[in-house]
Amino acid sequence: MTIFHFFNCAILTFGPHAVYYSATPLSEYDTIGTSIKAAVVYLVTSLVKLVCLATFLKVSESESFDPYQELLKALIGFIDVAGLYFALTQLTHRNISQNHKFQAVGLGKCWAFADAVLHRLAPLWVGARGLEFTWEYVLQGLEANANLVLSISLAALGSLMWLRKNKPQTLIPIIYLFAGFVATMPSITSYLRLSLGWHFPEIVAFKLFASLGTAFISWQLFSACQRPSN
Amino acid sequence: MAKPHTVASVLTGPLYSSILTVLIIVMACVELCDAVTVVDVYRLVQYDLGGVPFGSRLAALNHHAGSSSFFSSSSAAADLSRTVLILPVRELNLTFITEYIEQKKPLGGLLLLLPPVFSPQNIDTGGGADHESAEDLVKEVLGELEQFLIHANIPYPVYFGFEDEHVNTLLADVKKNDAAGQPATATTGGYKLVVAAPEPKKIASPTITNIQGWLPGLKGDGDSSQLPTIAVVASYDTFGAAPALSMGSDSNGSGVVALLEIARLFSVLYSNPKTRGRYNLLFALTSGGPYNYNGTHKWLRSLDQRLRETIDYAICLNSIASSSDELWIHVSKPPDNAYIKQIFEGFSSVSEELGLKVGLKHKKINISSPRVAWEHEQFSRLRVTAATLSELSDAPDLLESTGGLSNNRHFIDETLISRSVKLVAESLARHIYGQEGKNIDIFADDSSLSVNPSYIRTWSEFLSTTPRVAPFLSKNDPFIMALKKELADHTAEVNVQQEILDGMFTFYDSTSGKLHIYQVASVTFDLLLLLVLGSYLIVLFSFLVITTRGLDDLISLFRRPTSRKAKTA
Repeated sequence: MTIFHFFNCAILTFGPHAVYYSATPLSEYDTIGTSIKAAVVYLVTSLVKLVCLATFLKVSESESFDPYQELLKALIGFIDVAGLYFALTQLTHRNISQNHKFQAVGLGKCWAFADAVLHRLAPLWVGARGLEFTWEYVLQGLEANANLVLSISLAALGSLMWLRKNKPQTLIPIIYLFAGFVATMPSITSYLRLSLGWHFPEIVAFKLFASLGTAFISWQLFSACQRPSN
Repeated sequence: MAKPHTVASVLTGPLYSSILTVLIIVMACVELCDAVTVVDVYRLVQYDLGGVPFGSRLAALNHHAGSSSFFSSSSAAADLSRTVLILPVRELNLTFITEYIEQKKPLGGLLLLLPPVFSPQNIDTGGGADHESAEDLVKEVLGELEQFLIHANIPYPVYFGFEDEHVNTLLADVKKNDAAGQPATATTGGYKLVVAAPEPKKIASPTITNIQGWLPGLKGDGDSSQLPTIAVVASYDTFGAAPALSMGSDSNGSGVVALLEIARLFSVLYSNPKTRGRYNLLFALTSGGPYNYNGTHKWLRSLDQRLRETIDYAICLNSIASSSDELWIHVSKPPDNAYIKQIFEGFSSVSEELGLKVGLKHKKINISSPRVAWEHEQFSRLRVTAATLSELSDAPDLLESTGGLSNNRHFIDETLISRSVKLVAESLARHIYGQEGKNIDIFADDSSLSVNPSYIRTWSEFLSTTPRVAPFLSKNDPFIMALKKELADHTAEVNVQQEILDGMFTFYDSTSGKLHIYQVASVTFDLLLLLVLGSYLIVLFSFLVITTRGLDDLISLFRRPTSRKAKTA
């Protein structure tokens, strides 16, 4: 019965990735190589982030929200963005220019998949197999879903920012604003948890709504940028 | 374009699979220990007597928790073979449980909860007379329950635990669920109790250890071995329903403490040659008490026959700390025997001075029966005069009054032990120094020879926290070493004799374990979750197909087989 629970949580966490892969026209392109490269870039980015965190961050004794520490964490979070930029500009095939959005989506999906595997698989295996029942792993799966949508939105916005040459001028600040919002999402969640005292389910709910919101808005932005080029 | 891909795949193939196997092995080795609560529990004893099995025959437990309110809500024919009943001893209905076990109704397991006063961690001073009547009632119920469980053959695991806050909340929860008419099974969720224990194995060659201390008397013109000897004997091991909890504060912890204090007093007297008596003193701490005093039997047979013949008489101590009314001297020779009369008169005169009543009880020994109810009977079978001093008025049956669960420190009174020590020491000393009938107080209070109450209290505490069931005490157990050292401090020569317990009793190990309590969700919940997730993924899939490729594509995914059929037709 507990393997059953593990199986449930696993398909909640990893199922959407498979669904995204098969539902969108990603599978029509040969993106396995790109996917693996994206995962490697994510790994390298994570390592760099960890090293920076270990070097610059001091362990705080109190549970309160320390703006200076959080700012430092946010800055380090931008390394994430830099990694994504690197992946987008260096790895995508240059010849399939009109389907950049799918490249971006594919990249974001691989990014989120690597993130989910590295961060969630081990705790899920160890924890969800036990006899004791908690809601924790179901909530973590929902959070993984939210992260997936957020990563895809970030990748899409990133591709808008760096790969498109012709963008309507009015939309540029909005694009940057949302990209910044998505990139600083970890800082926002830790702020909510520490200073407002939100519990895990509430944070997951917030993340889900935020991810749906950003997905919708980035989709709108994308189609808005798409129109002039068509 | 094709080449780099194949090269890459060739390289990643074996590397990938080896990494995967390593990962799987690492993950499989992770232990699951994430229970909400872990509680120490102690198993009911499992033994064979002459081949007939007794006690709880299983150790591993893995079933759902149930409570006694089960029976009030549903009919008695409810299937409990996959349930562990949690019963607090405080509210136990003894007739119900004895009937249940006698009729051999199936049960997944039994967890009996003892009040915290019986816990070995809960050591307070020997309460004396100020224990409440409620606790006395629990003690009686526990005693009866223990006797019943020891002589029953139970095919499922029975564990004893203590009431603490976790277990109490668990029990309250389980009772609430049961009263609502929903017993915990695999489909409705609830609590699961797991004790991971291996199959209990027989203990091969259980050892019993006898410790004797020799205090020689004053050699006159002859050899000291021709001096007469007086022996003081007490058996130190116990037997109870839960071997890991059988501390036996009264039976026979009090006897051991008294023996050690008497040894100390006489060692003080004998250390100075001017006060050394013309009797040798032999102190013996024997094992195998509950098993027809097997250890005493073996010890006596190992003694040199000449030494045995010099024994004037032996005093055996057994349970002297609970009753303040009367002590009994049990003998097997008829009361009008000269020696017995002398001993009894000696004791009586001292007891009158102490304000204690001592009575004489005679019980004939039956040579053909293997049952040995008192320790002095082993001496009598070898024609050595002996008597047992005890608060028990009747001879206990086999495995009765052997220091089980109900024999707890809370119910003994250390002043009674002091009084009995004074009684025995004074009687012996008057006999040794020839001062019978004279008005003399050798071990007077406030003298250097007074009975030391803190010594008694320390040893009483030590014995009350040490379970002493003989088959589970190894040869070099620290407890036995401690007794040996203490006796060596008070006597001139200490001998340790180790024997194998006679074959009539066979014991099994696994006396304690850790109980993990898990809160589990039912299978229906998991199935429901699977259904929800499945529909979520299907919805997500169709949503994405519609938004990226259009609705026609989605419909065409499902229409493909039929369109092919149409084409071929």
